[in-house]
Amino acid sequence: MTIDHLADQAAAISAAELGLAESGSLGLQANAEIPSESKSEAQRQVDPMDDYVRLQQRLMMATLAVSTAAVALSWIFFSGSAAASLLLGACSGMLYLRLLARSVASLGKGSRSVGRFQLLVPVLLVIAALRVPAIELLPALAGFVLYKPALLLQAVLAP
Amino acid sequence: MDSLTSAASVVAAGLAVGLGSIGPGIGQGNAASGAVEGIARQPEAEGKIRGTLLLSLAFMEALTIYGLVVALVLLFANPFA
Repeated sequence: MTIDHLADQAAAISAAELGLAESGSLGLQANAEIPSESKSEAQRQVDPMDDYVRLQQRLMMATLAVSTAAVALSWIFFSGSAAASLLLGACSGMLYLRLLARSVASLGKGSRSVGRFQLLVPVLLVIAALRVPAIELLPALAGFVLYKPALLLQAVLAP
Repeated sequence: MDSLTSAASVVAAGLAVGLGSIGPGIGQGNAASGAVEGIARQPEAEGKIRGTLLLSLAFMEALTIYGLVVALVLLFANPFA
């Protein structure tokens, strides 16, 4: 009687252990599956550099819009050469902003400081404006700094 | 252009670039170090930190560019010549 009772208890205990082990393994599998799925979904949904790429695109579009308006107004109210100089300066400003954005993007990854390569753009613009008679200096400089009102406009209109 | 005006123009160009680069250089160094530290603390906010750094650097570096322009005008199109 006691031996049979002990055998039944041992069988019940082993069955309970098996159930615990199975449920534990299932739980572990479930726990192992959920973080991997959520991690991959999170990686797909939130890339930390997405904001930066979108900001660059917005800056370029704002600079393009402001430059187009400024060139059109200078074409109307001033001369064609002034508008051409303004357009050249605006293109230089966009190139400078693009190089600066690339330099900021590589900060901490490839380089330890902000690069100085983009400063060559205004230097070359001023030298070209001083050497080439067709390019006027003041409209070219005004076109170059058109990226600043574009930055302010983008900062005001940003969602 | 006489020699005194030439010498003064060259000295003024050097001062314009040199003195005009001190402040933006210090400011850019501080901004970049703060941004890298912020990215290291919060990698999920990397895009926003880099965007803010880009905007602040664009405004800071303009001061250096103004000094460069003044220096280049003094060297290549001196109005006092």
